[in-house]
Amino acid sequence: MRPETPSKINRRQALAGATLTFGALWGSLSAPGAAAAQGVLAWTPKALTSDQARVLDVVAELIVPATDTPGAREAGVPAFVDRAIATFCAPADAGALKAGLSRIDADARAAHGAGFTTLTTARQMALLAVYEAETRAPSAPAAVGRGDTETGLSNRTAAAPKGPPFFALLKELVTVGYFTSQLGATRAVRYDPVPGDYRGCVPLKQIGRAWAT
Amino acid sequence: MANLNTRARQENTYEAIVVGSGISGGWAAKELTEKGLKTLVLERGPMVRHITDYPTAAAAPWETKYPRGKLPDATMKAHYPVQVRTGYALTEYTQHFFVKDDEHPYTEEKRFDWIRGYHVGGRSLLWARQTYRHSDLDFEANAREGIGVDWPIRYADIAPWYDYVERFIGVSGQKEGLPHLPDGVFQPPMEMNCVEKDLKARSEARFPDRRITIGRAAHLTAPTEEQMALGRGKCQHRNLCSRGCPFGAYFSSNSATLVAAERTGNLKIRTGSIVTSVIFNEKTNKADGVRVLDEATGKEIEFYADVIFLNASALNSAWIMMNSVSKRFPNGFGNDSDQLGRNIMDHHLGVGAAAEAPGYEEMYYSGRRPNGIYIPRFRNLGDAASKRSDYVRGFGYQGGAGRPNWDRPEPGFGADRKAALSQPGPWLVRLGGFGEILPYADNRVTLNHKVKDAHGLPTLTFNVSIRDNENAMRRDMKSAAAEMLEASGFRNVRELDGDYGPGLGIHEMGTARMGRDPKTSVLGAFNQVHACTNVYVTDGAAMTSSSCVNPSLTYMALTARAVDHAVSARKRGEL
Repeated sequence: MRPETPSKINRRQALAGATLTFGALWGSLSAPGAAAAQGVLAWTPKALTSDQARVLDVVAELIVPATDTPGAREAGVPAFVDRAIATFCAPADAGALKAGLSRIDADARAAHGAGFTTLTTARQMALLAVYEAETRAPSAPAAVGRGDTETGLSNRTAAAPKGPPFFALLKELVTVGYFTSQLGATRAVRYDPVPGDYRGCVPLKQIGRAWAT
Repeated sequence: MANLNTRARQENTYEAIVVGSGISGGWAAKELTEKGLKTLVLERGPMVRHITDYPTAAAAPWETKYPRGKLPDATMKAHYPVQVRTGYALTEYTQHFFVKDDEHPYTEEKRFDWIRGYHVGGRSLLWARQTYRHSDLDFEANAREGIGVDWPIRYADIAPWYDYVERFIGVSGQKEGLPHLPDGVFQPPMEMNCVEKDLKARSEARFPDRRITIGRAAHLTAPTEEQMALGRGKCQHRNLCSRGCPFGAYFSSNSATLVAAERTGNLKIRTGSIVTSVIFNEKTNKADGVRVLDEATGKEIEFYADVIFLNASALNSAWIMMNSVSKRFPNGFGNDSDQLGRNIMDHHLGVGAAAEAPGYEEMYYSGRRPNGIYIPRFRNLGDAASKRSDYVRGFGYQGGAGRPNWDRPEPGFGADRKAALSQPGPWLVRLGGFGEILPYADNRVTLNHKVKDAHGLPTLTFNVSIRDNENAMRRDMKSAAAEMLEASGFRNVRELDGDYGPGLGIHEMGTARMGRDPKTSVLGAFNQVHACTNVYVTDGAAMTSSSCVNPSLTYMALTARAVDHAVSARKRGEL
């Protein structure tokens, strides 16, 4: 079971009632606002050092920021990623993720003379853009969505290629962690545990968002 | 002492014994108990009670131990190197319904994907629930083509039993009036989505012989009073079936047949009971009962009955028979024909085609349909137009259309990406073939006395492969699927050529085939062992050919029919 997200209260207090929208994020690029580090981590890392955890706390929120729906931090994603590194990831992936988080901080210090978490959002985003570029290898897996049945071929496709760059791994974990969190699944997308009926042709407008599951 | 032995023997004596509690064993238990026989069901694994033993059935996505509920690679490698080959079925949510391969070894002279669940209910908890009838195109095929041996039955023999089984289990589906895919007793069909409906309209306009219908699936869409009285309800379209259904909406032994059997008061289920052999009586030429290795104590126990049903799955029923050596049967119980363990079949799959379907961005669906579309066989139907020169028999397609949710590649990071992933992705369409495999005598398992399992029992060695006929069919399965998607105007049509190892269809069949002649088959027309008529084998072992349709319905119908025969024969004093 994923632990309850203790950052929820802190996060709300930090926002101090401000409604952080899509536009607000972009308006805040010049200040350490949206994704800025909390003074104290609201979760205790199991796999990461406290420095790596602090970087993760900010990077996760930059990957899935609070908009009109909660962001990664409020949804407890940093702790989810840390736990995945501790209990789920293959050793090579866990090593790549830890090294990647350390590298982000080292790159920030080399480029700006300050730790990543203290940079402006614009500088943070610029650094992440570098790592994002590293993930754009021509051999990226083709878009193969999940089948919506348990039968047949759709779920029997081959695995993704091995050894993607750390930022691809990190984005993957943050994304999974976010959209399978209670806040992400119920607010950013639509979660319906017991749909009852199946209706095959429904205007998307009536549903509004993608289904969580 | 003699009294004690007599008493022990009485205590261990039933009127009928059923070995295995999966999809066919559950049916044997239901029919035998409802016809009044005191019945012992022997199950090698632990109890799984309907609903209470489905621990993950209601788990929300956030109530997970691992990302997406996937198990760590190290766990997979250590315990599930074979089970993982399905690529999708084994997860944190279903782990307790799969065997650990390290505890249940076997030897692969050639790759064989043996996907198993050892517990009450067996794979009836995990099956894909697709439910189709064989037709005379299937039952006559071997005789017509001189392949293997002739089925000893025809469609007319089994048709009333298909009716009987479908009425009880509940099958949602659409009548199509096709002679080679007979209609059944159906509850209302599930709906196709927009893209599937257009695929049907456009592809059928171009290829009228390739009917597209909604999958026939063992889900209740309009439960009968009989089904509701068992505690079963309507499908809620959660598509979490393999965790066990708390609504009892799909058919399993646990939700239906064992519940019905239990209500008769004639049922006793004994778990942790590994049946190791059939006890053959040389004097009576009948089986007295079975030997059980009690998993908890490691002791051997004998159980006795007038009638014995083997429903341990095609491979394990064959294993029990091969391991039952007597003076009369030095090569395995009932194996005068030397066909025991041979003619292993499955359905080969993994090839087909996929495409994108632009133009439907404004449309979506609600609910998670645990079912897809089905395209019945359209090759080699007996007419000139459908005749193939490069292979015999045929295949059907299962597939469907849908929109991926957030779990799809999306470049970038930040608010734009989050917004994109909060909307459904592009419509994708897939068709995947399920092809018939011919019975080859040298596709076989043998008993391996060198490799022992954890209980010191011999194991199986597999030597099974697909051949030229199947490989030629696979090429057609790809191109025919692609041309249907092209004809429907979809984009980026690509052929899929997935991995397949025998067994991956999880439809093992043929190890003790039915036939007309005891010299060339193990079982007769009512699934009795030719040479020992109070033993019936009614799981996949009995299959004489494989058809291309999912086989569980046929196992269930054969079982109900065989029990009817057994109970009548017993009344007449023939068993």
